[in-house]
Amino acid sequence: MADETVLWHLGNMTFHARTLINTWLVMAAILIFCLIGVRNLTSGKPGKMQNVMEWIVDFVKTLVSDNMNYEQGRPLLGYLLTLIMFVFFSNMVSVIPNLTFGLFENFHIDFAHLNEIFARQEYFSAAPTSDINVTMALALLTIILVVSLGIKTKGAHYFHHFVEPNPVFAIIHLIDLLAKPLTLAFRLFGNIFAGEILVKVIWMLPGISVLPGVLPQVVWLAFSIFIGAIQAYVFTVLTTAYISQAVTPSEH
Amino acid sequence: MGGNPIQFDWTLVATIISFLLLVWLLKAKAWGPLMKVMEERRTHIESMLSQAENERLQAEQIKREYQEEMRKARQEAQEVIAKATKVSEQRAAEILAESHEEAEKIKKSALVDIERERDRAISEVKAQVADLSVLVAEKIIRQKLDLKGQGDLIEQFIQEVGEMQ
Repeated sequence: MADETVLWHLGNMTFHARTLINTWLVMAAILIFCLIGVRNLTSGKPGKMQNVMEWIVDFVKTLVSDNMNYEQGRPLLGYLLTLIMFVFFSNMVSVIPNLTFGLFENFHIDFAHLNEIFARQEYFSAAPTSDINVTMALALLTIILVVSLGIKTKGAHYFHHFVEPNPVFAIIHLIDLLAKPLTLAFRLFGNIFAGEILVKVIWMLPGISVLPGVLPQVVWLAFSIFIGAIQAYVFTVLTTAYISQAVTPSEH
Repeated sequence: MGGNPIQFDWTLVATIISFLLLVWLLKAKAWGPLMKVMEERRTHIESMLSQAENERLQAEQIKREYQEEMRKARQEAQEVIAKATKVSEQRAAEILAESHEEAEKIKKSALVDIERERDRAISEVKAQVADLSVLVAEKIIRQKLDLKGQGDLIEQFIQEVGEMQ
């Protein structure tokens, strides 16, 4: 098993190569999926793919209008839709087997460590969301959105809620503000990372080669799909909720 | 497993940039057009609904007008019938009264005629009686009336003619 994280170096910056490759693959998949979905747009009777896309849009729309004033939330729809798609597709990567069959090892393609990234020993691909960098990136974007939208809608008054109901509470509000992205990032990361670990652990069940793990693996992968969907939903709902907290006028 | 799974490095920044790029791309290429189409459909359905509502209201209006007209027509017919009945009754009464009057007039004129006729007859009779009297007198005088009684008879006769007047 490739235990070492494959790194790309750019100057003295380092990047997790497998994470980035998978992130871009996921983005490409989302792009292809969405572009197929909007290929034959019609306001009349929608096709199958358009139906799926409209279902997703409606789903997120409902989510937004449940949490806040829909007119306020409308500019966010594009972001939230992309977010839920990205997290869901990323989570699904961890249930896709590594289908490169050691191709890169056989051809010794050293470019960007591709042979290391798609090493033969990796039975399953690594989800981008099983890297804390990706989940933290999304969580940071969420909290940046929360604060900037809060300031945009309420002006300086936004900071007023930090001293509610008493200036002493500022420390609690500050912890709350910091905890939001941390919990977002670690929840998603923990769920998906643990899922991948368990996939590897199940292959290690004692017996002939990987055979004893086949049945539990099927069950676990099915459950992983469920977890992936739930986590994508949770991440989006929480982002919406945090933003709605920030932009909705306070009762006082 | 080797190493700490929680290692922050520039992957985070690269992911943020990539993700924002994806957001921008999808907004421009997918969500934007898709939501526009959905909005179009929504407004289309809305306009269809309001149109249907309008048509329903119009139909109701027409129905109400029609019923109103029906009611009016029926009322008018009733009025016409009532008026006609009244007029005819009046007319009948008038005709009756007229005929009564006419009959009265005819009766009166008949009476007048009768009166006149009688007067004429009487005057004629009187004239004739006078003539006859003269004639009788002549005859009596001529035949040298001898019987006094006959003279009384004539007197009586004349008396009677006078009373008839």
